Amino acid sequence: MKNIKLTIGWLYPDLMSTYGDRGNVITMQKRAEWRGIQTEVRHITVGTDTKEIETCDILFMGGAQDLQQEIVTKDLQDSKGSSLKAAIEKGVPALFICGAYQFMGNYYKAADGTMIPGMSIFDMHTEHPGDQKKRCIGNIVIEPLIEELQAMNIQLVGFENHGGRSYLPANGKAYGKVVHGYGNNGEDSTEGILYKNAIGTYLHGPCLPKNPELADWLLAKAIEVKTGEKTELTSLNNLLEEKARSVMVEKVV
Amino acid sequence: MKNIFNSLIILLASLISWYIRTFTKRNGSTWPGHIALHINPNIIQDIVSQSNTKIVFIAGTNGKTTTSKLLQHVLEKNGLKVCQNKEGSNMINGVATSIIRNSNWQGILQYDVCIIEVDENALPLLFKQIKPYAIIILNLFRDQLDRYGEVNVIAHNWAEVLKYLSSETHLILNGDDPQIYFLGNDTKALVHYYGLPEEMLQPKEIPHDVDSVYCPVCGTRLKYKGMSYSHLGDFNCPKGDFRRENVQGFAGEKIPYPLLGMYNVYNTHAVMLAAQKAFDLSLEQIKASLHGFSAAYGRQERLTYKNRDVTILLSKNPTGFNQSIELVRSHFKEKEANVMIILNDRIPDGQDVSWIWDVEYETLVPFARNIVISGDRTYDMAIRICNTFAKQPQITTEKDNSYSFEYITVQEDLHKAVDIAVSQTDKNKPLVILPTYSAMLEVREILVGRRIM
Repeated sequence: MKNIKLTIGWLYPDLMSTYGDRGNVITMQKRAEWRGIQTEVRHITVGTDTKEIETCDILFMGGAQDLQQEIVTKDLQDSKGSSLKAAIEKGVPALFICGAYQFMGNYYKAADGTMIPGMSIFDMHTEHPGDQKKRCIGNIVIEPLIEELQAMNIQLVGFENHGGRSYLPANGKAYGKVVHGYGNNGEDSTEGILYKNAIGTYLHGPCLPKNPELADWLLAKAIEVKTGEKTELTSLNNLLEEKARSVMVEKVV
Repeated sequence: MKNIFNSLIILLASLISWYIRTFTKRNGSTWPGHIALHINPNIIQDIVSQSNTKIVFIAGTNGKTTTSKLLQHVLEKNGLKVCQNKEGSNMINGVATSIIRNSNWQGILQYDVCIIEVDENALPLLFKQIKPYAIIILNLFRDQLDRYGEVNVIAHNWAEVLKYLSSETHLILNGDDPQIYFLGNDTKALVHYYGLPEEMLQPKEIPHDVDSVYCPVCGTRLKYKGMSYSHLGDFNCPKGDFRRENVQGFAGEKIPYPLLGMYNVYNTHAVMLAAQKAFDLSLEQIKASLHGFSAAYGRQERLTYKNRDVTILLSKNPTGFNQSIELVRSHFKEKEANVMIILNDRIPDGQDVSWIWDVEYETLVPFARNIVISGDRTYDMAIRICNTFAKQPQITTEKDNSYSFEYITVQEDLHKAVDIAVSQTDKNKPLVILPTYSAMLEVREILVGRRIM
């Protein structure tokens, strides 16, 4: 495994990066390097060649403000969007947070009824109920519904802050079940989506530093897709992460 | 009738203040105003309109308290009688409390100038009550996104009220902050821009976590000839829609800056331009009056605790924290200072601590001698610091429930954490404390032995 090099594609770091999203990239990078796996973090933004997406082993995209999201929408309309879709279909592990998660769905219906089409990578949609309805803000605790993580009997924690409510179709696969907080919509206890090896989630916090099992899952999938073989990552000391998580779970649940 | 009515409200508010101060040992800066506003929603307006006092608003993410205190200092040294709202009371209730406390029983402010530090969200509300004589807007950085929302929204709300100002108001704006600069475009107020002199702006890459680097007119990414930090610098829109010009950087002036750090050069320039343009003081008068200024609580505050040389640098958001790190790196020698980081997640700090991942701890950790981590979110910070190391550190658990790795100690209990930091620091040697807002109040109480708010 030592001679493997993983390329982490960070989509629009200059446009889609709020709420400490960088922490997700740092965590993936560190947890790979601490195991002797080399990494390269590749910034993919307006003006980056489409081919750069095709050679990424993990894809990541964070949240954004409206103005920035408009610029990204335009940029993904060309071949870059189809490369991204092809990568997800191929099984490249990916993590889309909050605004990026909404953006990868079928559409976003704004409070005034305007329909903003999404990338349709995830079969889900988002509606903004208007400013009279409270934003979903606060600490969130979920039970993961990803097979490998279910076996570990753990909970994941994060911080959510979103106005839009997301809905999966009846056969949609959420990646978590809400224990405390809102999740997709505050109604059906679902949180995020799992499609192939791509995850859409409302968990900021950032998501991966306090949930190292999820970071490891993405890394393991990346190696599996790259080499065609299942892999067992060497274990790391998660003492601080477990403590941070238990403090948060005790605080809110 | 109205005057008698307001006098009664002032009397009531004074009684409440007295009660809170006497029996709770707190400053009681919100309740009196809250109740007064409940009885007469126009109490602020009533007092201000019958007083002959010039009102100055100071707003912005970082530097409000320091700038308010420095402006007061400069104006007082030049013979003006100045009052100010106490720090932390910058929401509408706190402003009301402060206006009432500073007025006499007839509801008249007996000061030449009243400086009001205003919370980002309270600015539009206050405009309904007060027509200020001058407004200083310092900057707009990401801060407590869970409470304030996105910076574009705040800037938009500010612009909506600033456009109704008349030419009787001085608007002093940070000309190096594109979004703040743009606030001067659509207003009849007398606009003055301050910034850094060009020689202090370096060509560098735009950091990843900034919001205001797009042209507010056309949305194109701005170009910078030079930058100071975050998104501040000498900017222009490549399409020619928007550029920084007529910015007073006080180049070539020998200014006796009273505080360290580039962020305080900005704060000082804001005060100087306001004193010059709105209060007709000469540059010589202003420079002479900068001497003898001491920082506000927790902002570059130096004190001695158990013979250790302690400096507290309030560090409450990514930009502020990065500036504190810059200051530590330029002020101390490598491996000279011990560092204590305290991260809380209470209401004044923001519940969401994600922002710590936008801070460049990678430059602080190798520079510090020892580090102690504490606060409500001790372990979140510990994970962040752990992730600055190239090899995963060996983490061990100690008897007193602390964790340690490399030269770093993680202790949730603040009292114990202070003891550890002190024991690791030799006598007369420096200990730098980097706390969030509520953590600053807490650690000060331990170090000084009394509460300030």
